[in-house]
Amino acid sequence: MLVLGIDVGAATAKAAIYGNGKILSTAIIPTGFDIIKTANEVTLLVGKRIGCSIDDIDFSVSTGYGRNIVPFANKTITEITCHAKGVHFLFPEARTIIDIGGQDSKVIRIDKSGNVISFSMNDKCAAGTGRFFEVMARVFDLEISEIGPLAIQSKDPCQISSTCTVFAETEVISLLARGRSREDLLGGIHKAMVLRIISMAKMLGYEKQVVLTGGVAKNVGVKKFIEEEIKMKVMVPEEPQITGALGAALLAEAEFSKQLTSGEK
Amino acid sequence: MGTINTLSTYLEGRVSDLLRLKKEGKKVVGYVPGGFMPEELVWASGAIPVGLNKGGNYEAVLKSTEFLPRFFDTFSRSQIGYWALEDPLYRLPDLVVVPSTDKSIETIASCWELWTETKVFKLGVPHNVESDHAFKYYLEGLHLLKEELEKLTGNSITEAKLRKEIDLSNRMRLLLRKISQMRKSERPPISGKDFIKLNHASFYTDRDFMLKNLESLSKELSEKDGKKGPRIFLIGSSMAEGDYKVYDLLESAGADVVVEDFSEGIRPYWGEIEISDDLILALADYYFKKRTPLPALFRPSTEERSAFLLKLAKDFSVNGIIWYSMLYRESYDIEGVYFGRQAEKKGFPFIKIVTDYNPAENFSLQTRISAFIESITVR
Repeated sequence: MLVLGIDVGAATAKAAIYGNGKILSTAIIPTGFDIIKTANEVTLLVGKRIGCSIDDIDFSVSTGYGRNIVPFANKTITEITCHAKGVHFLFPEARTIIDIGGQDSKVIRIDKSGNVISFSMNDKCAAGTGRFFEVMARVFDLEISEIGPLAIQSKDPCQISSTCTVFAETEVISLLARGRSREDLLGGIHKAMVLRIISMAKMLGYEKQVVLTGGVAKNVGVKKFIEEEIKMKVMVPEEPQITGALGAALLAEAEFSKQLTSGEK
Repeated sequence: MGTINTLSTYLEGRVSDLLRLKKEGKKVVGYVPGGFMPEELVWASGAIPVGLNKGGNYEAVLKSTEFLPRFFDTFSRSQIGYWALEDPLYRLPDLVVVPSTDKSIETIASCWELWTETKVFKLGVPHNVESDHAFKYYLEGLHLLKEELEKLTGNSITEAKLRKEIDLSNRMRLLLRKISQMRKSERPPISGKDFIKLNHASFYTDRDFMLKNLESLSKELSEKDGKKGPRIFLIGSSMAEGDYKVYDLLESAGADVVVEDFSEGIRPYWGEIEISDDLILALADYYFKKRTPLPALFRPSTEERSAFLLKLAKDFSVNGIIWYSMLYRESYDIEGVYFGRQAEKKGFPFIKIVTDYNPAENFSLQTRISAFIESITVR
């Protein structure tokens, strides 16, 4: 049995093929303007890596912001449920997921079976998402991958009081003009962003093990400041962007097995 | 369903009817339907009460920015928006009664006063329900309202007229309660959306017509079974007429609302007015003290109100609770966090969602609601 999970997010599209109890292939590409084209491309890529095509897939589940328009998906499931299943597969002890994507962030509490207990989402404000870091990296003329390592070198992170991305950008430019170091400014930016996420986690309630996912989980500064704030070690999957697609694939397998058992297939 | 269709057809022509009645000399009294304005008084004066409860239209929100700062309760700000958009229902009233329950609703009164020619009556609603002083204050407000209505219509509100109107309103509450309680069934015979629409219709239909239709609907429903699916308790500050997005999203996720509680947009129907020698006192007793049985979110106390809501959740066997907040209605946000924790302690999955009626939020609402239903379905 080969099943596919496809997670079309606002910034990137991810796909995972699962079979025989293993993750067989994964792929990540930027989400283009045309979501259907993006879905086809990421599926082609994930299949190509193991020499299979969409015709070899027994069942597929789509998730993420573009989930409803993936033409070949057999079922759609929200990214909340999919992340929960994907993280549970990788970290069976996980009870809290902090997912920070390109254009939203969420905190999900899960039980020991990987079922969602409760969740909270921010998708109305860029501050608290990957988009915030993209804007800030541009201010410093840095690549997005460079800002985290610089942030953790800060000895005295600046206080960034603005809670809006646009105003925070202005505040950072003004602090730069006052001679604050790049490291301290980036440290402050990371702390400000982490405080937003953690207040969401505190409101919802969190417990260990905490797993950080999404593209922003690749930022070592975010991980460090979250750990400092919650005084707990935070786990990060080897590929933190793939958990939604992986969860979708696992749910595809469960659904297909159910249909086989009930004779629908 | 025959009666629901009859009502829908009737409602399409109701505003024209009201316009005609007004031309014939009838007075129209608009009010914010938050459950503190005894419409029996209006009927007894010979005027027609009309609940002003529209919402869900972002155009009204945008229009309201001409009068109010951006950061203000979605529902309350929409009211002046509908007036400015020249919605016929909002242009009908000769008098608008606003029960001043909190600063958001109070601002509805201020907008009518500042920007329209319509006369406004503010009915004070104190917070401390248990104090004699507060009760006397509300009671005095009802006496003043009675005088105002008599002045407006030129009719006196006699005991006989008021008694008759209380009887009719009690009948309305009884029928709505009966229909609502049918939703305790595993297969509710009426959808959540139809039930809230019935409530909304009751705010401006002809009452005899409404009672007749509620009677026949009650009979129809007693012989009907609806769909089985996840059962939701919808709670919040305001459920405006036209704001049915959450109901539609729940239905498309296979779930439905089986019980609801709102401060604006639902007629309190859990109790009835006990007729006594002093009918104004009886109205105050019901509307201020005993209506649900506790007066409102969150009077007299959040703890008591939470206990009442959790009892409803149990009685209606709900699988999950959705707290539906208006953006910038802060007092409800505060209570929502507390209530959410109480609900989870009792084992009810809980989620809070916020709206500013913006169509741009549709997808994120769909994601939240679908994820919530997915999570309760596997439990």
